[in-house]
Amino acid sequence: MPSATEPPAKVQPAAPPQAGFDRWNRKLHFYSGLFLIFFLWLFALSGLLLNHPAWTFHEHWKNRQETNYERPITRPRSDAVEDLDQARDIMNQLGIEGDILWTTPRTDPSLLEFQVRRPGHFFFIKANWLQGSATVRHAEVNVWGVMKFLHVFSGNVADDARNHRDWALTYLWAYSMDAVALGLIFMVLSSVYMWLQLPQKRWHGRIDLGLGCLSCGLFCLGLRWFF
Amino acid sequence: MKGPFYRLTRDLHLYLGLFISPFVLVFSVSVFFFVHASTPIVAPETTRVVSGLDLRPGLATLSGRPLVDALKPILGRLNIRGEIGFVQKRVQDDTLLIPVSIPGRAINVQLHLGRREATVVTRETGLADALMTLHKSPGGHGPDIRMNWFAMKAWRWFADATVYLIFFITISGVYLWAMLRAERRVGLVLLFAGTVTFFGIAYAVSH
Repeated sequence: MPSATEPPAKVQPAAPPQAGFDRWNRKLHFYSGLFLIFFLWLFALSGLLLNHPAWTFHEHWKNRQETNYERPITRPRSDAVEDLDQARDIMNQLGIEGDILWTTPRTDPSLLEFQVRRPGHFFFIKANWLQGSATVRHAEVNVWGVMKFLHVFSGNVADDARNHRDWALTYLWAYSMDAVALGLIFMVLSSVYMWLQLPQKRWHGRIDLGLGCLSCGLFCLGLRWFF
Repeated sequence: MKGPFYRLTRDLHLYLGLFISPFVLVFSVSVFFFVHASTPIVAPETTRVVSGLDLRPGLATLSGRPLVDALKPILGRLNIRGEIGFVQKRVQDDTLLIPVSIPGRAINVQLHLGRREATVVTRETGLADALMTLHKSPGGHGPDIRMNWFAMKAWRWFADATVYLIFFITISGVYLWAMLRAERRVGLVLLFAGTVTFFGIAYAVSH
């Protein structure tokens, strides 16, 4: 029985262009799967953990390690006018790297309160350059926390224009997520194409794909129609 | 000719992969909406007011799951179905703000306890929002109140099944690739390159 994962039995010297496309479609299907396999495992496992917060073994926030310290700082440089520039200046002085999260509105021009986050590390910073000091609360979480944070680490906060990507490595990770999503879409489409090349498996495949589309479509579109 | 285990694995890889492919597309396509979030388009809304509601006494004293359970029949009488979110209590005007969601639709109910009246605002938020809602459901927040609607409970089973099947599909895919001698070298190079890329980026962002 021919298979999508088996090479053609014989390659004719003058193979039609279609055969070349089929061969490369099949090759790229498992090449992309092999390249992305750790990304897929990360997002699959962390997604499962995020959906089951009651499973206690992956608790990360309760098991965090916290350190508190205070450091002297100087006033941000004069050209740092915006909140983001001032926060970056303070982070440089403190030697902290990560993506900035704004959580509180600013009321005092000499006081800047913000969070810096990167997978595994959360910094809660209160900088007061009139007093010449910054207090930092640093929370470090375990590997489960790192995995779950990587799942959602895009630098954007929904419905909050103030919070957006502001760290180079956040961009790198966000574009990696795009690449993984594109890779998955390609793998789905290429697998459907390969299945269509197998006439003897079309009937079972139709039932499977049909059931998948029906159940998934029910959630995406159907619930709004029925309720 | 390969053995029966190979053929069984190959067929399961194909058929289970076809079944979960729409779910994989939902999770993949919605990634772009999360990663490249822009200011949401506010969908047009419809508002209706319902008076003379039969409200059980002590509703405002409840919280968490008991509050959600108590609200379900009230919302049912308002012909509102969906997943009830985090309910806000506004003590000063004796009001409960109840968000209810169906993938692609957001309903906000303002329940005036003293006046026994509900203001229902409904917005059709569209397919993109539906995909995002499904992607992040059930999610890690409010486990005691989440999945209070049967449809979203069912979605959790499908979401979990997608994960388990992805593990099966990837492991069986590695097995099927390993059986192709001609592709082993290129495959190993790509597996190694992917591993280095993944751990390299993950290490860089987390250290």
